[in-house]
Amino acid sequence: MVNHTVKSYDAELDDVERHIAEMGGLAEKMVMEAMDALSSADAQLAHQVVETDQRLDLLQRQIEDLAVMTIARRQPVAIDLRELIGAIRIAGDLERIGDLAKNIAKRSVKIGSEGRVARAIVGIKHMNEVATELLKDVLDAYAQRDADRAREVWERDVDLDALEDSVFRDLLTHMMEDPRNISFCAHLLFCSKNIERIGDHATNIAETVVYLTTGQALPTDRPRGPQETDLGVGGGAA
Amino acid sequence: MSSFDVAAGATRLPNETKDKVVVRDLNFYYGQNHALKGINLVLQEGQVTAFIGPSGCGKSTLLRVLNRMYDLYPGQRAEGEVLLDGDNILAKEIDLNLLRSRVGMVFQKPTPFPMSIYDNIAFGIRLYEKLPKSEMDDRVETALKRSAIWTEVKDKLAASGLSLSGGQQQRLCIARTVAIKPEVILFDEPCSALDPISTAKIEELIDELSGDYTIAIVTHNMQQAARVSHYTAFMYLGEMVEFNETNAVFTAPRDKRTQDYVTGRFG
Amino acid sequence: MTGLYSGRKRRNFVWTVLAYAATALGLTMLVIILATLIWNGFGGLSLDVFTKNTAPPGVVGGLLNSIVGSLITTGIGLVIGAPLGILAGTYLAEYGRYSRVAVAVRFINDILLSAPSIVIGLFIYELLVVPVGHFSAIAGGVALAVLGAPIMVRTTEDMLNLVPNTLREAASALGMPRSLVIRHVAYRAVLSGIVTGVLLAVARMTGETAPLIFTALGNSLFTLDPRGPMSSLPLIIYEFARSPYAEQQKLAWTGALILTFAVLTLSIAARALSAQTRQK
Repeated sequence: MVNHTVKSYDAELDDVERHIAEMGGLAEKMVMEAMDALSSADAQLAHQVVETDQRLDLLQRQIEDLAVMTIARRQPVAIDLRELIGAIRIAGDLERIGDLAKNIAKRSVKIGSEGRVARAIVGIKHMNEVATELLKDVLDAYAQRDADRAREVWERDVDLDALEDSVFRDLLTHMMEDPRNISFCAHLLFCSKNIERIGDHATNIAETVVYLTTGQALPTDRPRGPQETDLGVGGGAA
Repeated sequence: MSSFDVAAGATRLPNETKDKVVVRDLNFYYGQNHALKGINLVLQEGQVTAFIGPSGCGKSTLLRVLNRMYDLYPGQRAEGEVLLDGDNILAKEIDLNLLRSRVGMVFQKPTPFPMSIYDNIAFGIRLYEKLPKSEMDDRVETALKRSAIWTEVKDKLAASGLSLSGGQQQRLCIARTVAIKPEVILFDEPCSALDPISTAKIEELIDELSGDYTIAIVTHNMQQAARVSHYTAFMYLGEMVEFNETNAVFTAPRDKRTQDYVTGRFG
Repeated sequence: MTGLYSGRKRRNFVWTVLAYAATALGLTMLVIILATLIWNGFGGLSLDVFTKNTAPPGVVGGLLNSIVGSLITTGIGLVIGAPLGILAGTYLAEYGRYSRVAVAVRFINDILLSAPSIVIGLFIYELLVVPVGHFSAIAGGVALAVLGAPIMVRTTEDMLNLVPNTLREAASALGMPRSLVIRHVAYRAVLSGIVTGVLLAVARMTGETAPLIFTALGNSLFTLDPRGPMSSLPLIIYEFARSPYAEQQKLAWTGALILTFAVLTLSIAARALSAQTRQK
């Protein structure tokens, strides 16, 4: 894209983008490390994740300030305006992703090292890998301003929803097998919910990327897994 | 998705609109210089259409075709069709003075006549109607009120039009144009010689006038175009590059040249 | 650096002194002329000058018929020349910007501006005196008109050219026909300028002698009939100044004084008006 005639305008937009990139990198790291802390019961790693969240919050506020200031000063229109609004939204989503990762880390500290069921973690780890992939891909799509790639991420969230369902059933089974598993698996239920939410936020970022690049919004109903339509708790359990 | 609906322009769009002015295949020449190339556009009744573009793109030229102002100068000619309510105003048989009573124009530099404020308004009216003094007084008052300048001049209607400040003079010129009850008003960079407060008053005025009048405004100030208009036309080198609702032009323009221009990437 | 600067300062000083000296010279000449006029002519000013006609030597006389004759002849010149001059100037400014006819008219006008007045006098003599068989104030008036009109053409055109085109366009944009635009907008905008031109033309006409010699000739009697010869101030000054009689010479000085102050008043009035125009 041709540069603005006023170079400081370009510098301001680049600044915002760099902050987003930094936030994205941190969020990715947090999501992976939170799961590592959970699966290896590493309390120190968990604390690290919790502290990183502070940096993420700071970045989000900085991005908002930068964007607001640029809007006030430059009266941006068209693609510049979409970029700045997009940056504000993405920063918000990344901050929430950070919070969710932080929650997983905090929970892993709470669980501690007793009553662990190794088999139960497998499903969750897989979920987290999928979610991390989604996040990584959508951040790449943002960096490349690639609407098609973003749309693809938007569609793949279905898989994460389906995974969450199967993890849910899995954990229920473990809990029914042995009451001593209940505490551990209950914590894992919350973690799986958090991971599914991380996927949703990645989807939000994908929608933002599409809007930012094309000026069009994705349809409000994204493809969902068939099980999501029924609300019964016991429905579908083996 | 509501945060994506960033309003970048006026958003009042009535459900049914009529084509007030239709320009078809307009070509304009200054002597040998081909200044406007195959222009097609429509001015909707009661809507404000802004013309933006870099210097020399032909937007003022286009505006001046709409009231045949170019006829004052030999060597300038227009080919094609410009339909006002269906009648082609480029035809030879058109009564120019009558045309200009239907299509008024406000210029960049305020040009009050060297007469009293009252006469500035009454003069135009007297061209077309013979009114008794009381009725003329009412008409003058209405025109001045409509142009948001009545309170400032009502005690000095006999003072010379030239004694007003720049912003007031421009509003006087608008009042003068409105007084003869045109259907279309053309604004040629009306605020470029004015300070921000006067500019804001005139933008508010244009807002109020739209609805009753069909308005076309040429402006160098893109933010003004975004604030004031319902439709925006981007012109470049004599061509109409993009013509669309203002919201679309300033949030997601279709043509790359439009985007480069509105975001300040031109040149 | 300072070498250049002090050299410039010195030269500046020299030129300033020269400029002041030239001004002083010019003013001195003006003062001498006025002083001479007043010295020689003021003594002759009396009520008789304005009430009695010119008389042969030995009889107490005045300048009444000459003053009235000047007024009439100049008046005729104004009535004929002003409409011609103003309208021609209007044509050149409003309609003639792009026509070759206008270029020719402007060229001829410039020549007429500095045409020798005696040539014009002779021309009118051939045209209006010879075929009719006698001199007349009308012929004199026409000659004066030919002299004064070019000034009014020039001033009117210059003044109208000062009216910004945007003002004309604004008037046209209201649907005003061309002639109304000129009459009500353009003229009104520069009215005092045009009047200034008229005053300057009148000032010139009042002072011309040569053309009147061949057309109005002069008349020692009081007359109001423009169809016959008529006296005027420049003519009588010419006659009396050459006369060997002291009282007539004295009257010549008085006449010169009156004439000078009339022209001076007109010029100052023109100046004051144009200053007023420029202030607007």
